Amino acid sequence: MGIQEQYRSEAAALLSSGEVKLVIGFGAGSTADRRRPLFARTPEEAQKFVLDAACIANLSTYLVAEGLLSDGKKVGVFLKPDGIRSVNILISEAQLKPEQVVILGYAIESGKDVAALEGRNISDFSIGEKIRKLTPPPHVIEAAEKIEAMSAEERFEYWKEEFSKCIKCYACRQVCPMCYCRRCIVDVNQPQWVSTSSHTLGNFEWNLVRAFHLAGRCASCGACDRACPVNIPLRLVNYRMGKEVRSAFDYVAGENSDQKPVLASFKQDDPETFIL
Amino acid sequence: MSDPFEPKIVAFVCTYCTYAGADLAGTSRLKYAPNVRIVRLPCTGRISPMFILKALQKGADSVLVSGCHPGDCHFTSGNYHARRRWTVFRALLSFTGIPEERIRFSWISAAEGAKFAELINEITDDTRKLGPFTQYQELQKVIETQSSY
Amino acid sequence: MTRILLRNKLDDCIAAWQKAGFSVLAPVKRHEMSSFGEVRKADEMALDLVLTERTIKDQFFPQTEPLIKYKIGKHQIDSETMTPPEKKRVFFGVRPCDASGLAIDDPLFGWDYKDDYWFGRRENSVIVTIACSQADDFCMCTSVKLSPDSTKGADVMLRPLSDGSGWQVEAMSDRGTALVETISSLLQESSAEAAPVPQVAEKFDVEKVMEWLADKENFESQFWKDIALRCVGCGSCTFLCPTCHCFDIQDEGDTYQGIRRKNWDSCSFALFTMHTSGHNPRNTQSTRWRQRIMHKFNYYQGKFGVNSCTGCGRCTRQCPVDMGITETLQAITNLPR
Ligand code: SF4
Ligand code: SF4
Ligand code: SF4
Ligand code: SF4
Repeated sequence: MGIQEQYRSEAAALLSSGEVKLVIGFGAGSTADRRRPLFARTPEEAQKFVLDAACIANLSTYLVAEGLLSDGKKVGVFLKPDGIRSVNILISEAQLKPEQVVILGYAIESGKDVAALEGRNISDFSIGEKIRKLTPPPHVIEAAEKIEAMSAEERFEYWKEEFSKCIKCYACRQVCPMCYCRRCIVDVNQPQWVSTSSHTLGNFEWNLVRAFHLAGRCASCGACDRACPVNIPLRLVNYRMGKEVRSAFDYVAGENSDQKPVLASFKQDDPETFIL
Repeated sequence: MSDPFEPKIVAFVCTYCTYAGADLAGTSRLKYAPNVRIVRLPCTGRISPMFILKALQKGADSVLVSGCHPGDCHFTSGNYHARRRWTVFRALLSFTGIPEERIRFSWISAAEGAKFAELINEITDDTRKLGPFTQYQELQKVIETQSSY
Repeated sequence: MTRILLRNKLDDCIAAWQKAGFSVLAPVKRHEMSSFGEVRKADEMALDLVLTERTIKDQFFPQTEPLIKYKIGKHQIDSETMTPPEKKRVFFGVRPCDASGLAIDDPLFGWDYKDDYWFGRRENSVIVTIACSQADDFCMCTSVKLSPDSTKGADVMLRPLSDGSGWQVEAMSDRGTALVETISSLLQESSAEAAPVPQVAEKFDVEKVMEWLADKENFESQFWKDIALRCVGCGSCTFLCPTCHCFDIQDEGDTYQGIRRKNWDSCSFALFTMHTSGHNPRNTQSTRWRQRIMHKFNYYQGKFGVNSCTGCGRCTRQCPVDMGITETLQAITNLPR
């Protein structure tokens, strides 16, 4: 039995036993190479699940949808390691109760084969070591290093061009599992910290604020980067922030679910070479 | 002849240490550059990175962020939290091309009036050399003067 | 015999239009994004794209636009209207769906109040449409009764020659005729055949959809709740749509001065209908998604006699969760009645 069939029947079993009220997985998409999130409430619907190497979205973002888990019932969800990582972060930030999430874990190997991951509860997955060893794709590192090698003026010009494309559609925020705030800082208007206008300055504000709010919290799932309709390389900022918290605080977001959020904790001997 | 460039510096300081330090500089009649505008906050932990961005947008040429020395925070750990935040924020600003030299961080206690005065003079001199922070100011000007097409 | 414009005359063509006082905008791919941008040479154009990612709408109704500059004094408020500079523009290589979008939005911006920002730009612009020679999986113009060679919204219509060497030229309006006049010396008479128009399959039955939407019984249907479950409520389908036109007026400034701006807004956003009291009449994503569909295929039709969709397919192409209107309208078409 392939993993797709196996997980279909597991999802169906979870639903028919009443253990979970809903399973979030993937279904066929609008074209042959697309998969779309699919919500199954009945064992029959679970037969529509698709699981293959095209299932790249991070479905954990739906776990923080308003009201989804407020009834205390359990939800099943298909997650890759980056999704498991974001669930760890959500738990460490007290946004999820571990017992409410049943994980159907899978990994995509060398871009084509799908393997099942052992375990159902978040505590079954010890992904910490693996995550520490993860290296971002070479083209990301290369692009980020290229930017770091520029002069400050050149860097500013680079991001000015990129951010001037932003249309403030907030797709990056909406798809991100870590962007769960019910009222995002850009939606706050008394005072209006971030202008709603999407002129270049306003876009700078927005993109810097989002990058900062994700610093040390990003699961590197790449959802924001893929969602951006104007192709701003958001991955580069995320990568740079992740690198900083790691080198400064030896912190890797989502290693486990009991870590203390990096910017909500401190060590007395944190580095401070830049402080006069 | 246009006026010589006078840098605008905004200092975000905590009330218990650096503000008291600045006050001491004043009562001790220490002379320091009049280019600084001080914004007093309860604690460095209350200094949102948003403040720094806004100051730069609204015309600051440099920003100083300053509070109590580690261990001296009135609220015990506000400055430790702030320190982590600054570390990350600095990296972000630098990565996006906002020159690090324009944003300074310091610990200045209530007894360090002289350190405050010296630092302000130093930042003022350095900023004078750097020139105005035109990058943001230009983006702001675009908004104010041009009808988009 | 028809008049044709050869591809190798494009540089001269741009020069002639510039000489006549026009800026020339065409599809360009810059910084990893395709949109309409000013070009000076033909080789800057990206004419072989199926469709630009950004729509031509942006050039008439920008994402943010200053309206008024104001200063609040002790006893008076000084204000100054900000209007875009008059600029004559040629849009070269517009796809029929995008050109239609402009025509669809015209009544909206001129209905109870004539929007000078929109019409100022419209009246100074000439739309040169190029009929499509390719379509992708998401194109669905035929489903909304348009076609890959629709002339709606076009001032000049270009039809690709089958050998790819150029286009047949047909002026569709007075503005178009005048524009063609400026390049008449670059055109030649030819009997070259136009390339066949690509086949775009009909994906849904728009009549059936409209009928279902018009039935008030269906407004509270479970259908909406099910279909919109996965929508994450970003604004990208609306912001990339050539006809979506919602905006919000914002005063941006401080206590003493500021600028009043017109910014894009989106019915997909939870904040769109949020009242000051905290009450939100469209408090779920499904009600927001229903609004988008109803607006396009019912309300707009009722008010202006046309559907507010050109079938460009962008809403599906770029949706992060593979939604878009096609699936919804297909599902409505197939509902048991
Ligand atoms: S910021 Fe982007 S990459 Fe990071 S968790 Fe959010 S969506 Fe994923
Ligand atoms: S997804 Fe891209 S265009 Fe949309 S708000 Fe985010 S950065 Fe801007
Ligand atoms: S349909 Fe897609 S693009 Fe539109 S709001 Fe929903 S998630 Fe965003
Ligand atoms: S609703 Fe979708 S297909 Fe229709 S015009 Fe808008 S983006 Fe294009």
